[in-house]
Amino acid sequence: MSKTENELRTCYTFLECTSCKLSKKRKFTDGDIVFFTPENCSECDGKMLITKIFGVTMD
Amino acid sequence: MDFNFDEFLAWVGEDSDTLMMLIWIIPVIIFVFYGQKIQLLISSNEIKKEIDKLDEYTKTTKEDFLSYIKNDLTPKTDVSKRLDSFFDYFTIMPVDLDPNGIISKINHLVRSREDFIRLQINNMFSDLSEMELSKLQNLLEIVTTLQLFHKHTRHLYLTAKKQKNFPLILPLQMMIPFIMEEAFALKDAMPAIKKGQPIGDGIGPMVVGQMMLNTTKESAAFETVWSKTTFEDRELFLLKADGPNATVGRPGDGFEKIISTKKPDLVIMIDASLKLEGEDSASIAKGFGAAIGGIGTERFKIEEIATKNKIPILALVVKQSIHEAITLMTQEIADKANSVRDELHQMIRENTTSGQTILVIGVGNTIGVSQ
Repeated sequence: MSKTENELRTCYTFLECTSCKLSKKRKFTDGDIVFFTPENCSECDGKMLITKIFGVTMD
Repeated sequence: MDFNFDEFLAWVGEDSDTLMMLIWIIPVIIFVFYGQKIQLLISSNEIKKEIDKLDEYTKTTKEDFLSYIKNDLTPKTDVSKRLDSFFDYFTIMPVDLDPNGIISKINHLVRSREDFIRLQINNMFSDLSEMELSKLQNLLEIVTTLQLFHKHTRHLYLTAKKQKNFPLILPLQMMIPFIMEEAFALKDAMPAIKKGQPIGDGIGPMVVGQMMLNTTKESAAFETVWSKTTFEDRELFLLKADGPNATVGRPGDGFEKIISTKKPDLVIMIDASLKLEGEDSASIAKGFGAAIGGIGTERFKIEEIATKNKIPILALVVKQSIHEAITLMTQEIADKANSVRDELHQMIRENTTSGQTILVIGVGNTIGVSQ
Protein backbone atom coordinates (compact mmCIF):
# COMPACT_ATOMS: atom_id res chain seq x y z
CA MET A 1 0.00 0.00 0.00
CA SER A 2 1.42 3.37 -1.02
CA LYS A 3 1.97 6.18 1.45
CA THR A 4 -0.96 8.20 0.13
CA GLU A 5 -3.35 5.31 0.78
CA ASN A 6 -2.78 5.70 4.53
CA GLU A 7 -3.51 9.40 4.56
CA LEU A 8 -6.56 10.88 6.24
CA ARG A 9 -7.71 14.32 5.30
CA THR A 10 -9.66 16.79 7.38
CA CYS A 11 -11.49 19.52 5.53
CA TYR A 12 -11.35 23.09 6.85
CA THR A 13 -13.18 26.27 5.93
CA PHE A 14 -11.36 29.60 6.12
CA LEU A 15 -13.48 32.71 6.63
CA GLU A 16 -12.63 36.40 6.55
CA CYS A 17 -14.76 39.32 7.70
CA THR A 18 -15.52 41.67 4.81
CA SER A 19 -15.49 44.67 7.21
CA CYS A 20 -12.81 44.21 9.90
CA LYS A 21 -10.76 41.52 8.09
CA LEU A 22 -10.92 39.20 11.11
CA SER A 23 -10.17 35.69 9.92
CA LYS A 24 -10.94 32.29 11.36
CA LYS A 25 -10.51 28.63 10.45
CA ARG A 26 -13.06 25.99 11.39
CA LYS A 27 -13.99 22.47 10.31
CA PHE A 28 -16.01 22.22 7.10
CA THR A 29 -19.75 21.91 7.53
CA ASP A 30 -22.24 20.83 4.85
CA GLY A 31 -23.34 23.75 2.73
CA ASP A 32 -20.03 25.64 2.97
CA ILE A 33 -19.17 27.13 -0.41
CA VAL A 34 -16.27 29.38 -1.36
CA PHE A 35 -17.40 33.07 -1.61
CA PHE A 36 -20.60 32.46 0.35
CA THR A 37 -21.23 34.39 3.57
CA PRO A 38 -22.74 31.82 5.96
CA GLU A 39 -22.30 33.73 9.23
CA ASN A 40 -21.69 37.13 10.79
CA CYS A 41 -18.46 38.37 12.34
CA SER A 42 -18.22 37.91 16.10
CA GLU A 43 -16.34 41.23 16.43
CA CYS A 44 -18.15 43.74 14.18
CA ASP A 45 -21.26 41.86 12.99
CA GLY A 46 -20.04 42.16 9.40
CA LYS A 47 -20.33 39.32 6.89
CA MET A 48 -17.84 36.45 7.15
CA LEU A 49 -16.83 35.48 3.59
CA ILE A 50 -15.53 31.96 2.93
CA THR A 51 -12.27 32.59 1.10
CA LYS A 52 -11.04 29.00 0.87
CA ILE A 53 -11.92 25.41 1.67
CA PHE A 54 -9.07 22.94 1.83
CA GLY A 55 -7.94 19.58 3.14
CA VAL A 56 -5.16 19.01 5.64
CA THR A 57 -3.47 15.63 5.71
CA MET A 58 -3.25 13.77 9.01
CA ASP A 59 -0.78 10.88 8.98
CA MET B 1 26.31 -46.56 -20.68
CA ASP B 2 25.17 -46.85 -17.05
CA PHE B 3 25.40 -43.75 -14.91
CA ASN B 4 27.27 -44.34 -11.68
CA PHE B 5 26.46 -41.65 -9.14
CA ASP B 6 29.40 -42.50 -6.85
CA GLU B 7 31.84 -42.14 -9.74
CA PHE B 8 30.25 -38.83 -10.68
CA LEU B 9 30.63 -37.51 -7.11
CA ALA B 10 34.22 -38.62 -7.05
CA TRP B 11 34.86 -36.82 -10.36
CA VAL B 12 33.24 -33.66 -9.09
CA GLY B 13 35.07 -33.86 -5.81
CA GLU B 14 38.39 -34.01 -7.66
CA ASP B 15 37.69 -30.84 -9.55
CA SER B 16 35.75 -28.10 -7.73
CA ASP B 17 35.81 -25.96 -10.95
CA THR B 18 33.52 -28.51 -12.60
CA LEU B 19 30.96 -28.12 -9.79
CA MET B 20 31.06 -24.34 -10.13
CA MET B 21 30.62 -24.68 -13.87
CA LEU B 22 27.51 -26.82 -13.36
CA ILE B 23 26.10 -24.34 -10.84
CA TRP B 24 26.40 -21.63 -13.49
CA ILE B 25 25.33 -23.64 -16.51
CA ILE B 26 22.10 -25.17 -15.11
CA PRO B 27 20.41 -21.81 -14.39
CA VAL B 28 21.57 -20.50 -17.78
CA ILE B 29 19.97 -23.50 -19.51
CA ILE B 30 16.76 -23.04 -17.47
CA PHE B 31 16.60 -19.35 -18.40
CA VAL B 32 17.30 -20.02 -22.07
CA PHE B 33 14.33 -22.38 -22.36
CA TYR B 34 11.95 -21.10 -19.65
CA GLY B 35 13.08 -17.46 -19.14
CA GLN B 36 10.08 -15.87 -20.80
CA LYS B 37 7.67 -18.15 -18.94
CA ILE B 38 9.28 -17.27 -15.60
CA GLN B 39 9.15 -13.54 -16.44
CA LEU B 40 5.53 -13.89 -17.56
CA LEU B 41 4.70 -15.60 -14.27
CA ILE B 42 6.36 -12.91 -12.14
CA SER B 43 4.97 -9.97 -14.18
CA SER B 44 1.47 -11.41 -14.41
CA ASN B 45 1.35 -12.00 -10.64
CA GLU B 46 2.19 -8.35 -10.01
CA ILE B 47 -0.35 -7.18 -12.59
CA LYS B 48 -3.01 -9.48 -11.13
CA LYS B 49 -2.63 -7.77 -7.75
CA GLU B 50 -3.17 -4.37 -9.38
CA ILE B 51 -6.21 -5.66 -11.32
CA ASP B 52 -7.69 -6.92 -8.04
CA LYS B 53 -7.18 -3.44 -6.64
CA LEU B 54 -8.92 -1.91 -9.67
CA ASP B 55 -11.81 -4.31 -9.17
CA GLU B 56 -12.03 -3.30 -5.51
CA TYR B 57 -11.96 0.43 -6.41
CA THR B 58 -14.76 -0.10 -8.95
CA LYS B 59 -16.91 -2.04 -6.48
CA THR B 60 -16.43 0.36 -3.57
CA THR B 61 -17.07 3.51 -5.63
CA LYS B 62 -20.15 1.87 -7.16
CA GLU B 63 -21.51 0.95 -3.71
CA ASP B 64 -20.64 4.39 -2.42
CA PHE B 65 -22.45 6.04 -5.33
CA LEU B 66 -25.59 3.92 -4.92
CA SER B 67 -25.73 4.39 -1.15
CA TYR B 68 -25.32 8.17 -1.64
CA ILE B 69 -28.34 8.13 -3.96
CA LYS B 70 -30.43 6.01 -1.60
CA ASN B 71 -29.55 7.90 1.59
CA ASP B 72 -29.09 11.50 0.47
CA LEU B 73 -31.44 11.89 -2.49
CA THR B 74 -35.04 11.07 -3.33
CA PRO B 75 -35.18 8.71 -6.32
CA LYS B 76 -38.63 8.07 -7.80
CA THR B 77 -38.05 4.30 -7.89
CA ASP B 78 -35.21 1.84 -7.26
CA VAL B 79 -32.61 3.24 -9.63
CA SER B 80 -29.84 0.67 -9.03
CA LYS B 81 -30.60 -1.33 -12.18
CA ARG B 82 -30.88 1.71 -14.42
CA LEU B 83 -27.65 3.14 -13.09
CA ASP B 84 -25.95 -0.24 -13.53
CA SER B 85 -26.67 -0.01 -17.24
CA PHE B 86 -25.14 3.51 -17.34
CA PHE B 87 -21.87 2.21 -15.90
CA ASP B 88 -21.47 0.11 -19.05
CA TYR B 89 -22.24 2.89 -21.54
CA PHE B 90 -19.49 3.32 -24.10
CA THR B 91 -18.62 6.03 -26.59
CA ILE B 92 -17.60 5.28 -30.16
CA MET B 93 -15.29 8.01 -31.35
CA PRO B 94 -15.72 9.30 -34.95
CA VAL B 95 -13.63 7.85 -37.77
CA ASP B 96 -10.32 9.70 -38.00
CA LEU B 97 -9.09 8.37 -41.37
CA ASP B 98 -10.05 11.74 -42.81
CA PRO B 99 -9.50 14.09 -39.83
CA ASN B 100 -10.99 17.12 -41.59
CA GLY B 101 -13.96 18.29 -39.50
CA ILE B 102 -13.45 15.70 -36.77
CA ILE B 103 -13.54 18.29 -33.95
CA SER B 104 -17.15 19.23 -34.62
CA LYS B 105 -18.05 15.52 -34.74
CA ILE B 106 -16.33 14.86 -31.38
CA ASN B 107 -17.95 17.98 -29.92
CA HIS B 108 -21.38 16.80 -31.06
CA LEU B 109 -20.77 13.29 -29.71
CA VAL B 110 -19.53 14.43 -26.30
CA ARG B 111 -22.33 16.97 -25.85
CA SER B 112 -25.01 14.50 -26.94
CA ARG B 113 -23.64 12.05 -24.36
CA GLU B 114 -23.68 14.72 -21.64
CA ASP B 115 -27.21 15.82 -22.55
CA PHE B 116 -28.43 12.22 -22.57
CA ILE B 117 -26.92 11.42 -19.15
CA ARG B 118 -28.25 14.69 -17.69
CA LEU B 119 -31.76 13.98 -18.97
CA GLN B 120 -31.74 10.37 -17.77
CA ILE B 121 -30.51 11.30 -14.28
CA ASN B 122 -33.01 14.15 -14.03
CA ASN B 123 -35.85 11.75 -14.87
CA MET B 124 -34.90 9.42 -12.03
CA PHE B 125 -35.46 12.02 -9.30
CA SER B 126 -38.38 14.23 -8.37
CA ASP B 127 -36.59 17.25 -6.93
CA LEU B 128 -33.03 17.49 -8.12
CA SER B 129 -31.15 20.78 -7.84
CA GLU B 130 -28.65 21.87 -10.52
CA MET B 131 -25.85 21.31 -7.99
CA GLU B 132 -26.95 17.75 -7.21
CA LEU B 133 -27.41 16.96 -10.89
CA SER B 134 -23.88 18.11 -11.72
CA LYS B 135 -22.48 16.16 -8.75
CA LEU B 136 -24.25 12.99 -9.90
CA GLN B 137 -22.85 13.42 -13.42
CA ASN B 138 -19.33 13.66 -11.98
CA LEU B 139 -19.83 10.66 -9.68
CA LEU B 140 -21.21 8.59 -12.53
CA GLU B 141 -18.20 9.55 -14.66
CA ILE B 142 -15.84 8.35 -11.90
CA VAL B 143 -17.50 4.93 -11.57
CA THR B 144 -17.73 4.49 -15.37
CA THR B 145 -14.04 5.37 -15.85
CA LEU B 146 -12.92 3.00 -13.09
CA GLN B 147 -15.01 0.20 -14.55
CA LEU B 148 -13.50 0.88 -17.99
CA PHE B 149 -9.95 0.80 -16.54
CA HIS B 150 -10.68 -2.50 -14.83
CA LYS B 151 -12.21 -4.13 -17.91
CA HIS B 152 -9.46 -3.03 -20.32
CA THR B 153 -6.58 -3.95 -18.02
CA ARG B 154 -8.14 -7.34 -17.27
CA HIS B 155 -8.65 -7.95 -21.01
CA LEU B 156 -4.96 -7.31 -21.81
CA TYR B 157 -3.83 -9.43 -18.86
CA LEU B 158 -6.07 -12.39 -19.69
CA THR B 159 -5.16 -12.25 -23.40
CA ALA B 160 -1.44 -12.39 -22.58
CA LYS B 161 -1.99 -15.26 -20.12
CA LYS B 162 -4.21 -17.19 -22.53
CA GLN B 163 -1.72 -16.94 -25.37
CA LYS B 164 1.27 -17.34 -23.02
CA ASN B 165 2.67 -14.29 -24.79
CA PHE B 166 5.25 -12.42 -22.70
CA PRO B 167 5.76 -9.44 -25.09
CA LEU B 168 2.02 -8.78 -24.94
CA ILE B 169 2.19 -8.17 -21.20
CA LEU B 170 5.09 -5.71 -21.45
CA PRO B 171 3.06 -2.64 -22.53
CA LEU B 172 0.60 -3.38 -19.72
CA GLN B 173 3.45 -3.69 -17.23
CA MET B 174 4.71 -0.27 -18.35
CA MET B 175 1.29 1.38 -18.24
CA ILE B 176 -0.09 -0.12 -15.02
CA PRO B 177 1.58 2.37 -12.59
CA PHE B 178 0.02 5.29 -14.51
CA ILE B 179 -3.38 3.58 -14.69
CA MET B 180 -3.24 2.85 -10.95
CA GLU B 181 -2.25 6.44 -10.13
CA GLU B 182 -5.29 7.74 -11.99
CA ALA B 183 -7.59 5.05 -10.58
CA PHE B 184 -6.47 5.82 -7.04
CA ALA B 185 -7.10 9.54 -7.63
CA LEU B 186 -10.57 8.82 -9.05
CA LYS B 187 -11.47 6.67 -6.03
CA ASP B 188 -10.32 9.43 -3.67
CA ALA B 189 -12.29 12.07 -5.60
CA MET B 190 -15.64 10.57 -4.50
CA PRO B 191 -15.89 12.11 -0.96
CA ALA B 192 -15.11 15.68 -2.09
CA ILE B 193 -17.59 15.51 -4.98
CA LYS B 194 -20.33 14.07 -2.73
CA LYS B 195 -19.87 16.87 -0.18
CA GLY B 196 -19.52 19.60 -2.85
CA GLN B 197 -16.01 20.56 -1.71
CA PRO B 198 -13.54 22.35 -4.03
CA ILE B 199 -10.95 20.21 -5.80
CA GLY B 200 -7.43 21.14 -6.91
CA ASP B 201 -8.61 21.72 -10.48
CA GLY B 202 -10.83 24.52 -9.13
CA ILE B 203 -7.95 26.93 -8.51
CA GLY B 204 -8.60 28.81 -11.81
CA PRO B 205 -12.34 29.32 -11.11
CA MET B 206 -11.42 30.27 -7.51
CA VAL B 207 -9.11 33.09 -8.62
CA VAL B 208 -11.56 34.42 -11.22
CA GLY B 209 -14.57 33.84 -8.89
CA GLN B 210 -13.03 36.15 -6.30
CA MET B 211 -12.54 38.84 -8.97
CA MET B 212 -16.20 38.42 -9.98
CA LEU B 213 -17.52 39.22 -6.47
CA ASN B 214 -19.71 42.35 -6.46
CA THR B 215 -19.99 42.38 -10.27
CA THR B 216 -23.07 41.63 -12.38
CA LYS B 217 -22.89 38.06 -13.64
CA GLU B 218 -24.45 37.07 -16.95
CA SER B 219 -24.78 33.73 -18.66
CA ALA B 220 -22.11 33.33 -21.35
CA ALA B 221 -22.95 29.79 -22.41
CA PHE B 222 -24.36 26.61 -20.89
CA GLU B 223 -23.16 26.41 -17.24
CA THR B 224 -20.80 29.33 -17.90
CA VAL B 225 -20.91 32.89 -16.52
CA TRP B 226 -19.09 36.13 -17.28
CA SER B 227 -18.88 39.63 -15.88
CA LYS B 228 -17.01 42.90 -16.36
CA THR B 229 -14.70 44.77 -14.03
CA THR B 230 -11.78 47.19 -14.30
CA PHE B 231 -8.11 47.04 -13.36
CA GLU B 232 -5.70 50.00 -13.59
CA ASP B 233 -7.53 51.75 -16.44
CA ARG B 234 -8.13 48.52 -18.32
CA GLU B 235 -11.39 46.68 -18.89
CA LEU B 236 -11.45 43.09 -17.66
CA PHE B 237 -13.88 40.46 -18.93
CA LEU B 238 -14.07 37.55 -16.51
CA LEU B 239 -15.27 34.10 -17.57
CA LYS B 240 -15.70 30.89 -15.57
CA ALA B 241 -17.95 27.87 -15.11
CA ASP B 242 -21.12 28.58 -13.14
CA GLY B 243 -20.30 27.71 -9.53
CA PRO B 244 -20.77 26.10 -7.14
CA ASN B 245 -21.95 23.36 -9.52
CA ALA B 246 -19.61 20.49 -10.35
CA THR B 247 -18.95 21.62 -13.90
CA VAL B 248 -16.21 22.96 -16.16
CA GLY B 249 -18.73 24.93 -18.22
CA ARG B 250 -18.21 25.73 -21.90
CA PRO B 251 -15.48 28.38 -22.04
CA GLY B 252 -15.18 28.04 -25.83
CA ASP B 253 -18.81 29.01 -26.35
CA GLY B 254 -18.43 31.72 -23.69
CA PHE B 255 -15.46 33.23 -25.53
CA GLU B 256 -17.50 33.20 -28.76
CA LYS B 257 -20.31 35.14 -27.08
CA ILE B 258 -17.97 37.67 -25.46
CA ILE B 259 -16.12 38.38 -28.70
CA SER B 260 -19.44 39.19 -30.37
CA THR B 261 -19.80 42.01 -27.78
CA LYS B 262 -16.25 43.37 -27.84
CA LYS B 263 -12.94 41.99 -29.07
CA PRO B 264 -10.43 41.66 -26.21
CA ASP B 265 -6.78 42.62 -26.84
CA LEU B 266 -5.43 39.76 -24.76
CA VAL B 267 -6.71 36.47 -23.33
CA ILE B 268 -5.25 35.08 -20.11
CA MET B 269 -6.23 31.55 -19.07
CA ILE B 270 -5.75 30.35 -15.49
CA ASP B 271 -5.81 26.61 -14.98
CA ALA B 272 -4.43 23.71 -12.96
CA SER B 273 -1.70 21.83 -14.77
CA LEU B 274 -0.25 18.37 -14.20
CA LYS B 275 3.19 18.69 -12.64
CA LEU B 276 6.16 16.78 -13.93
CA GLU B 277 7.96 14.42 -11.56
CA GLY B 278 10.35 16.49 -9.46
CA GLU B 279 8.34 19.70 -9.78
CA ASP B 280 6.84 21.23 -6.63
CA SER B 281 3.12 21.01 -5.99
CA ALA B 282 1.29 24.34 -6.12
CA SER B 283 4.14 26.05 -7.98
CA ILE B 284 3.02 28.71 -10.47
CA ALA B 285 4.16 28.71 -14.09
CA LYS B 286 3.51 31.15 -16.94
CA GLY B 287 3.45 30.46 -20.64
CA PHE B 288 1.86 30.97 -24.03
CA GLY B 289 -1.18 29.25 -25.50
CA ALA B 290 -4.56 28.03 -24.34
CA ALA B 291 -4.30 26.42 -20.90
CA ILE B 292 -7.21 24.01 -20.95
CA GLY B 293 -7.37 20.23 -20.72
CA GLY B 294 -10.12 17.81 -21.59
CA ILE B 295 -10.78 16.08 -24.87
CA GLY B 296 -9.53 19.08 -26.90
CA THR B 297 -12.73 20.52 -28.37
CA GLU B 298 -12.85 23.58 -26.07
CA ARG B 299 -9.16 24.30 -26.66
CA PHE B 300 -9.67 24.01 -30.40
CA LYS B 301 -12.52 26.51 -30.30
CA ILE B 302 -10.60 29.03 -28.17
CA GLU B 303 -7.50 28.71 -30.37
CA GLU B 304 -9.55 29.12 -33.53
CA ILE B 305 -11.33 32.28 -32.34
CA ALA B 306 -8.06 33.75 -31.05
CA THR B 307 -6.25 33.00 -34.32
CA LYS B 308 -9.04 34.41 -36.48
CA ASN B 309 -9.07 37.62 -34.43
CA LYS B 310 -5.28 37.75 -33.90
CA ILE B 311 -5.62 37.79 -30.10
CA PRO B 312 -2.59 36.55 -28.12
CA ILE B 313 -3.27 33.94 -25.43
CA LEU B 314 -1.21 33.73 -22.24
CA ALA B 315 -1.39 30.95 -19.67
CA LEU B 316 -1.01 30.96 -15.91
CA VAL B 317 -0.99 27.52 -14.34
CA VAL B 318 -0.76 26.00 -10.88
CA LYS B 319 1.15 22.72 -10.97
CA GLN B 320 -0.30 19.68 -9.20
CA SER B 321 -0.44 15.90 -9.39
CA ILE B 322 -3.44 14.07 -10.84
CA HIS B 323 -4.41 13.10 -7.27
CA GLU B 324 -4.31 16.72 -6.09
CA ALA B 325 -6.20 17.92 -9.19
CA ILE B 326 -9.30 15.79 -8.70
CA THR B 327 -9.48 15.38 -4.92
CA LEU B 328 -10.17 17.90 -2.12
CA MET B 329 -8.06 21.03 -2.69
CA THR B 330 -4.90 20.98 -0.56
CA GLN B 331 -3.97 23.92 1.67
CA GLU B 332 -0.83 24.55 -0.43
CA ILE B 333 -2.94 25.03 -3.57
CA ALA B 334 -5.66 27.09 -1.82
CA ASP B 335 -2.99 29.37 -0.32
CA LYS B 336 -1.67 30.11 -3.81
CA ALA B 337 -4.86 31.91 -4.95
CA ASN B 338 -3.55 35.35 -3.89
CA SER B 339 -0.16 34.76 -5.53
CA VAL B 340 -1.87 33.72 -8.77
CA ARG B 341 -3.94 36.93 -8.68
CA ASP B 342 -0.74 38.99 -8.17
CA GLU B 343 0.91 37.19 -11.09
CA LEU B 344 -2.18 37.86 -13.21
CA HIS B 345 -2.08 41.58 -12.40
CA GLN B 346 1.63 41.65 -13.25
CA MET B 347 0.94 39.86 -16.54
CA ILE B 348 -1.77 42.40 -17.41
CA ARG B 349 0.55 45.36 -16.61
CA GLU B 350 3.41 43.91 -18.68
CA ASN B 351 1.38 42.90 -21.72
CA THR B 352 -1.27 45.60 -22.12
CA THR B 353 -1.60 49.36 -21.94
CA SER B 354 -4.32 51.48 -20.36
CA GLY B 355 -7.61 51.47 -22.23
CA GLN B 356 -7.17 47.92 -23.50
CA THR B 357 -9.51 45.00 -22.80
CA ILE B 358 -8.42 41.67 -21.33
CA LEU B 359 -10.40 38.45 -21.11
CA VAL B 360 -9.48 36.35 -18.07
CA ILE B 361 -10.75 32.76 -18.15
CA GLY B 362 -10.75 30.63 -14.98
CA VAL B 363 -10.55 27.10 -16.36
CA GLY B 364 -11.46 24.01 -14.33
CA ASN B 365 -14.16 22.28 -12.33
CA THR B 366 -15.82 24.90 -10.13
CA ILE B 367 -17.38 22.52 -7.60
CA GLY B 368 -17.78 24.26 -4.24
CA VAL B 369 -16.57 27.58 -5.67
CA SER B 370 -19.10 30.33 -6.30
CA GLN B 371 -18.53 33.78 -7.84
